[in-house]
Amino acid sequence: MITAERKPMEEIIGSVSPYRRILLVGCNECVTVCAAGGRKEVGLLASALKMHFAKEGNPVEIEEVTLERQCDPEYVEELLPRMDQADAVLSMACGCGAQEVARRYKEKPVFPAVNTRFMGASERQGVWAERCAGCGNCVLGITAGVCPIARCSKQLLNGPCGGSTSGKCEVDPDIDCAWQLIWDRLKALGMQERYEDNIPAKDWRTGRGGGPRRIVREDLAS
Amino acid sequence: METFEPVIVAFCCHYCAYTAADMAGSMRLHYPPNVKIIRVPCSGKVDAIHIMKALEKGADGVIVAGCLEGDCHFKNGNIRAAHRVDSVRKILGDIGMGGDRVEMFTMSAGMGERFALVATEFTEKICKLGANPVKSGTDMGMHQAAC
Amino acid sequence: MAGIRSALDLAEAGRDVVLMDKAYSIGGLMTSLDRTFPTNNCDLCTLSPHLSESGRDLRIELMPLSRLDDVQGEAGEFKATVTSEPRYIDLAKCTACGECYRAFPEAVRFTPGLDHRAPTCMRYPQATPYAFSIDMERCDNIDELVRICPASAILPEDTRKTRTLDVGSIILAPGADLFNPRVLDTYQYGVLPDVVTSLDYERILSASGPTKGELLRPSNGKSPKKIAWIQCVGSRGVQKGLVSYCSSACCMYALKEAMVTRERFGGEVETTIFYMDMRTAGKDYETYLERARNEYGVRLVRSRPHTVEMEPSTGELVLSYFTYDGKVALTERFDMVVLTVGFRIGAELTEMASRLGIELNQHNFAQTGTFNPVATSRPGIYVSGLFESPKDIPATVVQASAAACCAAADLSPLRVVSRKEEELLPERDVEGEEPRIGVFVCDCGFNIGSVVNVAEIAQSMSRLPQVEVSEVVGHGCSRESIEHIQKTIRDRKLNRVVMGACSPRTHETLFQDMLRKAGINKYLLEIANLRDQDAWVHSDRPRDASAKADELMRMAVATVRHARPLTDYHLAMNKDVLVVGGGVAGMSASLSLADMGYRVFLVERSGKLGGVARNVHRTLRGEDVQAGIDALIDRTEHHDRIQVLKNAMIVDHSGMAGMFKTGIQVAPQMFYREIKHGITILATGALPNRPKEYLLGRHKAVVTQLDLDGLLARDPEAARGWNDVVMIQCVGSRVPENPNCSRVCCQAAVKNALRIRELNPDACIYVLYRDMRTAGFDEDYFRKAREQGIIFTPYDLDAKPEVEPSGDAVSVTFTDPILRRRFRLDADCLALSTGFIADEESTEDLGAIFKLPRTPDGYFLEEHVKLRPVDLPIPGFFVAGTAHAPKTIRESIAQGQAVAGRAQTLLARDVINLGAAVAQVDGTKCAACLICVRACPFGVPFINEKGYSEIDPSKCHGCGVCASECPAKAIQLMQFEDDQIMAKLEGLLERIS
Repeated sequence: MITAERKPMEEIIGSVSPYRRILLVGCNECVTVCAAGGRKEVGLLASALKMHFAKEGNPVEIEEVTLERQCDPEYVEELLPRMDQADAVLSMACGCGAQEVARRYKEKPVFPAVNTRFMGASERQGVWAERCAGCGNCVLGITAGVCPIARCSKQLLNGPCGGSTSGKCEVDPDIDCAWQLIWDRLKALGMQERYEDNIPAKDWRTGRGGGPRRIVREDLAS
Repeated sequence: METFEPVIVAFCCHYCAYTAADMAGSMRLHYPPNVKIIRVPCSGKVDAIHIMKALEKGADGVIVAGCLEGDCHFKNGNIRAAHRVDSVRKILGDIGMGGDRVEMFTMSAGMGERFALVATEFTEKICKLGANPVKSGTDMGMHQAAC
Repeated sequence: MAGIRSALDLAEAGRDVVLMDKAYSIGGLMTSLDRTFPTNNCDLCTLSPHLSESGRDLRIELMPLSRLDDVQGEAGEFKATVTSEPRYIDLAKCTACGECYRAFPEAVRFTPGLDHRAPTCMRYPQATPYAFSIDMERCDNIDELVRICPASAILPEDTRKTRTLDVGSIILAPGADLFNPRVLDTYQYGVLPDVVTSLDYERILSASGPTKGELLRPSNGKSPKKIAWIQCVGSRGVQKGLVSYCSSACCMYALKEAMVTRERFGGEVETTIFYMDMRTAGKDYETYLERARNEYGVRLVRSRPHTVEMEPSTGELVLSYFTYDGKVALTERFDMVVLTVGFRIGAELTEMASRLGIELNQHNFAQTGTFNPVATSRPGIYVSGLFESPKDIPATVVQASAAACCAAADLSPLRVVSRKEEELLPERDVEGEEPRIGVFVCDCGFNIGSVVNVAEIAQSMSRLPQVEVSEVVGHGCSRESIEHIQKTIRDRKLNRVVMGACSPRTHETLFQDMLRKAGINKYLLEIANLRDQDAWVHSDRPRDASAKADELMRMAVATVRHARPLTDYHLAMNKDVLVVGGGVAGMSASLSLADMGYRVFLVERSGKLGGVARNVHRTLRGEDVQAGIDALIDRTEHHDRIQVLKNAMIVDHSGMAGMFKTGIQVAPQMFYREIKHGITILATGALPNRPKEYLLGRHKAVVTQLDLDGLLARDPEAARGWNDVVMIQCVGSRVPENPNCSRVCCQAAVKNALRIRELNPDACIYVLYRDMRTAGFDEDYFRKAREQGIIFTPYDLDAKPEVEPSGDAVSVTFTDPILRRRFRLDADCLALSTGFIADEESTEDLGAIFKLPRTPDGYFLEEHVKLRPVDLPIPGFFVAGTAHAPKTIRESIAQGQAVAGRAQTLLARDVINLGAAVAQVDGTKCAACLICVRACPFGVPFINEKGYSEIDPSKCHGCGVCASECPAKAIQLMQFEDDQIMAKLEGLLERIS
């Protein structure tokens, strides 16, 4: 899941303050699940903004919409009838959603209301942690199901480094050392000998090293 | 000049705070009539949006009142409510409203006197804070929530 | 009250009940009262939902104007002969329109009040049966009477009828008479019009009374400025025509009358109560006394005035009295004098008792025993209320439920058949209709109407969109109003109703029922709490109270537009019972329920059953407590439907009425066990108090009354060596740390004093007291103690006795207020009446585990002090014994039986209604984020195979946490949907901005 967090209120207020009619668009996918941009957060933000501008004697109209998924053109198309009444769009989806709205409605300024953070998992209610860096060449098969790219502060492929103490990372004692986790899993699997294998240098071209990426499924794209 | 009579919304849980408010009635205790009670089954039912909307629509203060800690009929609804009230206070601070217009209180069903005291003191506090600044704006720009 | 409560409990438990009353409508004395303590609310409002309930319930057959002549046979199969006097009215036809009364006022029967000036002739506005009654002998033109009745309900040929009923058990709840003070010629009742009885005074205050609630002097119709109450009129007396016992309820009701007077008529009316002892010994009654004195300014004078005379020139009443401080005779002028009269048993009841063959005590009350507090001497015949002994409403209601329990046990084996379904109109489908709202505003007598301008509110609501009808109804909960509202719903095709009334906590069920019977879904209702949360709290600012009422009503109207028809959910009932606490209350409850056929788990934290009562040897009346307790323990331990778990601790709890789960740990291994049960009864008791005062625990001559009771039983010889014995009352009770009266200490002191006197006639015994609270028949022993030379000396809290060590004895210094002298004497034994203190630790733990509220002094808080004294606020929980408040063994046993009487109303059902307030998920909005799954305190939601959250309505507790946490706003809690809450806010705030 893509995780996000609402931007500081001051920044949001600053970005939309020139506009009087705002279309606030949430997304019912990842940002709903991480409680950053679903219907509820849309309602709260709309209320907060209305109050702020009313208080300033400069009231705004805010229309609230939450799309099923903001990163698909068909869903984004649903905004069309509302666009005429909007001076600007404030998106509570991840960066993908906000860009899709911007691509479709070229004449409208689009502002993000959330900071898209990372691909992560939910550790428990209200806590999410990074798990995948989208490197394009997954190594989980040889690292016992724990990703050193996303979870090691130094992205070491042959860890740990000397900063690993009692299973914690020297960067922040709240971070588990990924290589400790890898070792623990290997042991549990009875595959300690794998640890001795040297993982060769990674070809980063499958990741951001090769520029913006896209996937084309020939069978589906036709 | 007209004296300021604040409008205060009190979300009261059925099992404790609402009962305490009834108890204040049985005991014929007086508190300011500014406080209007909305009954909810549990303070944990009070949505952050409801608190925000109350203020957006012009309430000068919002009370969320639940059971004493550890006494919630639904285990921990009051604790959740307290966290939620904190987060709303933070948003209100961020938009320059100040968080003091919203407050969480706890009381047991028998505490009629506490309810009356809370209602009285909170009303005094809101009187000091003055009218909800949202009301001073002209056009409220109220639009129906569309989803 | 007692009869209605017993009948309702039994009917709810599936039994068939015949409810007889010698009057033409039921309700008894309570219906004549204006308001009742300690809540000071209007009686009609509290009683009428019950009366309407009994009028509605098909299992209860009402037999007004009837008399029980004879009972043959034995428990389980009695044949009862009943004679009913002619009413001359067909109950099925009479609409109580009042035409007969207008034409023949003298011929229509009417009971209470000062005279015929009362505004209507119904006994009270919610009369059941709701019909008139004719005295044909006083009608001079029967043909005209028949003709004038528009309903053709007059039956001139009606005759006395005799029926024989087959009944399993009989409950006697005939009440008692009030003393007529005419025999006390020095008070000149009946001679001076401004001397009234307490009942007359209630009628003057009552909205349905002769002055319509105006406080006016009967002599001249003017408002009195000074009113005096004289306590114990006819009670605690030794003269001819008086009774020696204490009537128990009068101190509280005089305080109430004085408080209501101060409240309603402000500081203009001075109120003074002349009393002998203030006997405010019930739960929280002491704080009531303090409020009367300190907040309401009711003046209390310890004295029994001897004469009331009238000053002819001014018409004022002159009261002559002495006070305890030894001053000379005083006189004081008043505008009115209220004689607080007590209860007595009339000839009618003594004759009935002899016809039925039940024994009476020396005062003609039904004879009962400590261990069988509601059983008469004839098996199968039970007694409750005033005929058992003088008492107040809460104690009466407890006995009524206890009697219902005992009566049901005689009907075993359980032969409950499925509840008769009432013929209900089919529910009208209102889907797609525009809202057609009916608004009904109660004035609730003076409760709402005297503060809030109800007519204006109704007018203002009528201007709101979609409001079809908006009107004022007197008592909305009265039978008459309910029928009117139902007719309006049908005639005007209303599909939404708003009641401006009292609290939905007490009246929602009644009004929901009203909607359902009018043919629309019961959830199309909204109640604005204009009484408890407006009129009662803003009586000082009537204009603001009206403005607030207007806003509360707008909120309700706005909300009801969004109300949806809902369906209730049901679940199978677990019929096992968990009883926590193995004292007398817990054992009585367990045995009563087990005898009815239910399986009981009795959990006791110590290694022994019996509780505090194990330390008591005899009652004041001389009954052997140990033998009684041993018998209870023996039966409890050997009952095949009771499982006793000793050394056991409650550790966790979940579920709801009908499906509780409670975890216990049992010593010594502390193994964990889970019990599934449908009902939970708390009988965890209180602790004997041992405050660190007067050298208790530091000097061997200083003991508690409980210690002394044991000492006198174990080693009676010790008492023979004592010269001086002192007892100090109210040690650690009626003080700021433990404000309430412990209720048992005065009796214990008198009991122990008499026992010492018996063992050692030469000992000097002093009892230092604040008020001697030997209520009811215990008063006889208090008198006996004084006759035997035991010296009773009052002390004040600001001049407490002083105690110092003095060798083997302790020296006690105190002031005698009559002699106005300080005394100092060496006591060989100093007995402190320390009473009870709440078991804070256990009630706090259990309160937290079971989520039950407690009073500030640590006792469990009941649902309603008068109407539901043993029900706890959470359905399925009951409380008995000293966990509720300090009480005697006898009262604890009565409560133990009463909880069984109440519990059977739930246990008799096969299913429990869970209501409709459950969470529902809109699958199209759900993002399957799991937040609800994780947030639910009861683990109910799950993600179903369709990929969205599902909530089983039969498991949902209805708290709404999931609805408020859902980030997709996909969950709504029925009855509290977001649009309803938003509508409330809009209704309140629409005119701002």
